[in-house]
Amino acid sequence: MNGTGVAAQTRELAERLVRIEAASKHVAEEDADATCRVCEKLRRPLVTLTGSAGFSSLLSRALILAQREAPALGTVQVKADGSMQGFQGAAAAATHVLVTYLLSLLITFIGETLTMRLIDDIWPELPQRAVSPLEKEAK
Amino acid sequence: MNQTKRVKINQLPSGVPGLDEIVGGGFPEFSFNIIAGAPGCGKTTLAHQFVFKNATEERPALYFTVLGEPALKMLRYQQQYTFFDPTKLNTSVRFVNLSQELIDHGLQGVLEEITRQVQATNAGIVVVDSFRTVLRREYRDGREVEVQSFVQELALLLTSWEATTFLIGEYSEAELADNPVFTVADGLFWLYQQVERNSVVRKLQVMKLRGQMSVPGMHTFRITNAGLQAFSRTLGLTGNKRKGPDRKRLSTGIAALDEMMGGGVPEGDSLLISGPSGAGKSLLATQFIASGLRVGEPGIVAVFEERPDEYAERASTFGLDLKTALDEGSLAIIYLRPLDLSVDEMMQELIDAVKKTGAKRLVIDSLAGFEMALAPGFRTDFRESLYRMIFALTGIGITILSTLEMEENFTKFPFSSYLISFLTDDIIRMRYVEIEGQLRKIMMIVKMRGCAHSNDIREYKITEDGIVIGERLTDYEQLTTGIPQRSIKN
Repeated sequence: MNGTGVAAQTRELAERLVRIEAASKHVAEEDADATCRVCEKLRRPLVTLTGSAGFSSLLSRALILAQREAPALGTVQVKADGSMQGFQGAAAAATHVLVTYLLSLLITFIGETLTMRLIDDIWPELPQRAVSPLEKEAK
Repeated sequence: MNQTKRVKINQLPSGVPGLDEIVGGGFPEFSFNIIAGAPGCGKTTLAHQFVFKNATEERPALYFTVLGEPALKMLRYQQQYTFFDPTKLNTSVRFVNLSQELIDHGLQGVLEEITRQVQATNAGIVVVDSFRTVLRREYRDGREVEVQSFVQELALLLTSWEATTFLIGEYSEAELADNPVFTVADGLFWLYQQVERNSVVRKLQVMKLRGQMSVPGMHTFRITNAGLQAFSRTLGLTGNKRKGPDRKRLSTGIAALDEMMGGGVPEGDSLLISGPSGAGKSLLATQFIASGLRVGEPGIVAVFEERPDEYAERASTFGLDLKTALDEGSLAIIYLRPLDLSVDEMMQELIDAVKKTGAKRLVIDSLAGFEMALAPGFRTDFRESLYRMIFALTGIGITILSTLEMEENFTKFPFSSYLISFLTDDIIRMRYVEIEGQLRKIMMIVKMRGCAHSNDIREYKITEDGIVIGERLTDYEQLTTGIPQRSIKN
């Protein structure tokens, strides 16, 4: 835990996912495209699960939480279909924070086991790791 | 070839303990079913239990959610149940949200998406939760014809693709008439949640099930952290052991009483011990159980008015060792005290204990306590419930001894109250009598179905060795009034 309400393991997982996506396209981790691809890959199964509106709500909530930690994300907007826009300048460098909070929200709602199953389905190459406990710190 | 070869309908386990017996073996494969009931009565949980029991990677379950409980919240809550297997998620069990299809494209959009998903995944199970929300939207536009055609097409599609289907809906019974959904359905399962005085009672009914015999009537069920557990009205026991005169006799543990009964209690009988408070009914029952244990017959004691350790402790004061049998598992003392139980739930407890211990003898101490432990709504049906219970248990060869407290009356002599005499094969009556300035005790056998028995009225005493039966009181008349007169002999 790090005082932001998000477990360190969740943050580490988010960074790892961004790194995987950056590596697959040979771009820098700070490249917003890597984060967008993480969110886009999460979007597909989550839209199936919760519908576009459900995913859009979840992402919007994650964005609000992420903006507290990284105000540069203030330029980012979530569209109705769950896609995003507005990654410019400093926002691009803080995008992994958004992934962190999206994962954190998922863990809050459906728990670590189901979240990790979802992630394992999307990124089967992700090495198995110890993720417990991923609970939020008391705010 | 003049012999018709009927198609065999496979039955899928419901995943709900007790429900397979109620539906006649399991849910018919490829059937198109409806689970209906008011919100909060367990419809979604029932569907989840079926899904997690039967879904495989080759024939996964598609769980469609529509404008009802969001799937994220459904997963959040359902994973609390022990049957929920997270390893099946997205492989054997797939959740799909259809809200957007319904909003954007109406019923046709929903049908197309279900078709696409079923064909793409080779789904063997399809659940639509809530189906009511799918149709409500179309009714609002006054397009009932489209609803009928949608239901027909959906049923045709899912049956053709060999899917077993459950549509979940918050329906009321008033909607049963002229509803195309109920007409098309092969199975209709209705769940109820009734508040009766201060208790909540859950019941389910199989209102329709094509192709197989289900058990009619209302069956109680309970929701625990393991999900639903149903209790069949037949209690899952259909044995009907013949009761012939040549049956084995079970000792009561009191030699003189065995003699009065012509050798003991006939195996598989239901014996009622009735009498006032302090007459020794519980002691007689304990001696009956202890006697069985001594000859290797496991037993069950259902107590309502004292705890198992107290019961065993009290037995030890009469030299009856129940603790050893308890430790060895040949005796189970079941303390049933919650005030919202149904008879069926209690029966399930007893049946589970019978199976676990291999019990041959069962003591219910007492029937009044039994009745009080029931939810108020069940007390009105107590006699009928008692009949089902006794019939079911004696049918599989269990010998039952029940105690019944009776208010002592010095002007009348009822054999037993509750009008339950007809439910029991044998009745022993204990009572107080006033003789020579003393309150003494007498015992008699009122009834033994199909067996000869002593007509003697015998005095007995409660000693540190248990009940000791004395001689027939030949010097007195009108003993059954409680105020006997000394006989005048010529």
